[in-house]
Amino acid sequence: MDAFTLTIWLVRIAFVLCLYLFFFVLLRALWRDLRTTVASTGRSLGRLVVVASPEGMPVAGSSIPLDAIMSLGRDVNNSITVDDAFVSAEHALLTFRGRAWYLEDRGSTNGSFVNGQRIEGVVPLGYGDELQLGQVRLRLERDRS
Amino acid sequence: MTGVPVGRPSALGAALRRWGIRPRLRTRELTLLLLAALALTVGWISLASFRAGSITTGDPTLLAGYLGMLLAIHAAFVLTGRRTDQVLLPVTGLLGGLSLLLMSRLPQDLASQDLGFAALELAPLQLFWLAIALAMMAVLAIVVRNDNWLREYKYTWAAVGVGLLLLVFFLGDETNGARLSLRIGPIAGQPSELLKVILVVFLAGYLAENRTLLARTSTRVGPISLPPIPYLMPMLAMWGLALAVVIVQRDLGAALLFFSVFLTLLYVATRRFAYVVLGLALFLVGAAVLYLLFSHVRTRVDIWLDPYVDPLGTGYQVIRALYALGRGGILGTGLGAGLPAVGDTPAIPAIHTDFVYAALAEELGMLGGLAILGLYGVIAERGLRIAVQAADDFRALLAVGLTLVVVVQAALIVGGNLKLVPLTGITLPFVSYGGSSLLANAIVVGLLLALSDRGVEPPPAPTTGRRFRRIRGEG
Repeated sequence: MDAFTLTIWLVRIAFVLCLYLFFFVLLRALWRDLRTTVASTGRSLGRLVVVASPEGMPVAGSSIPLDAIMSLGRDVNNSITVDDAFVSAEHALLTFRGRAWYLEDRGSTNGSFVNGQRIEGVVPLGYGDELQLGQVRLRLERDRS
Repeated sequence: MTGVPVGRPSALGAALRRWGIRPRLRTRELTLLLLAALALTVGWISLASFRAGSITTGDPTLLAGYLGMLLAIHAAFVLTGRRTDQVLLPVTGLLGGLSLLLMSRLPQDLASQDLGFAALELAPLQLFWLAIALAMMAVLAIVVRNDNWLREYKYTWAAVGVGLLLLVFFLGDETNGARLSLRIGPIAGQPSELLKVILVVFLAGYLAENRTLLARTSTRVGPISLPPIPYLMPMLAMWGLALAVVIVQRDLGAALLFFSVFLTLLYVATRRFAYVVLGLALFLVGAAVLYLLFSHVRTRVDIWLDPYVDPLGTGYQVIRALYALGRGGILGTGLGAGLPAVGDTPAIPAIHTDFVYAALAEELGMLGGLAILGLYGVIAERGLRIAVQAADDFRALLAVGLTLVVVVQAALIVGGNLKLVPLTGITLPFVSYGGSSLLANAIVVGLLLALSDRGVEPPPAPTTGRRFRRIRGEG
């Protein structure tokens, strides 16, 4: 076997090895994704932490566990009653659709704010975002577990 | 999974944002792309050196152009900053690159086309189609943020699909006994490739709307219980469509693909195993009738059962493919060293379209062949993951359907190459030569990428069907 045949054989093997190197890195990435998914299922959807609430309902510093659909407003029939002079009876709707939270204003007088910006229509939320209805400020947090 | 937003709050940053540019690094995609580029470069050197008889890179223009294109798309994804899947681009990019390698290796006169500005042969032509397909994929992945244009117009899409079918029937050309291609000016295309995407869009829309009704049981036939008869009609219509494609277009592959994708989607939407049983029964009846009535179906099945009955005639293609696989062995003969061509005629007829897998498996061996199959497995995993994470039924079903279309097609043709199932004339997605096939599969991956973005517009708020609303007095 001369030097050229040997070299070309090595290049050939190197090509197949490169394909498998790609494949190995790919599978490692998929495996990592799978692990994070498994770790995150079964956990609850999240909670709202009350950052500020001048009129005391809900109590500042308390944390509220969340269901998939949460209505917010001054009316007692809401899932979360926010008793504040600047909050409408049916103020906003917080929904978990598939894998993300969305906030929707239900035509409130003073509007709903996400991170200080007034929202229009349905907006997606991330964990850590701060919502404001009237004078009440709430932070959406992932449950620690 | 998602990249890190880069860029400090600065004047430049503000200016960029005003133009819709929000850079977000995609490190995983970049790593995988660089590894794919490394593999393709080594493959190119292997091919060029074998041909030249000394270690050389040959003329790397085509490869450089292709890799540059992949990096440009990566750059576009980074600059627009959408949080889409980072695995699909490198995987399809590697498959396309392998296709380019193989097309450079095969005799160049297998295909040629005068594009007006230049007359191209096999490898440059495939690069041209790859460029158009990848651009299409990138545009879909970047621009599509809203799926209403697919969701709301499902019957329009179905009409477009049926229209395409009729157009092919009346105006199509015949190649190899199948009426498949449609010629517009100098460009000939195969609409059945596009038809599969349209079909998935329609089925996803239809099933997402009616899945609760389809999952109910009210009719009982012996031991299996079925949903109300009117809702079975679409299933019969699909079966009829598949039969029509076989009879009219003589296109077994497309028919098999359509029907299997339909059955799987129906099962995914309803979780009713009775449908699968019923569908398989319909399939067996249809297959038996077609086998008895139509000679082109009978030939395919007979070749599959025993190609050695007519080794130099009908069985030639399959037998040559089996020999090629055997010659390849475990490590392969090496790129350029196989026997895809005797002199200037290809050893396996249709080696650049239907039998690419046999050609690659000969030169890369069983190891290379398994790696290629694994890449399709990865596409399946990503697609189904996108479906699981989708925000609502329509998106989930759409993602499942799009994934199936690519993966089932690959399985059917690879199975045909290996004499595992009867050979059907369809392409190996992203690897076979052909503009229509590349374009249709790129549209599929582009839509999957767009669906994988978690920052897109939310789907319309969940509503019950129109019928239920009317019952509850809300309509």
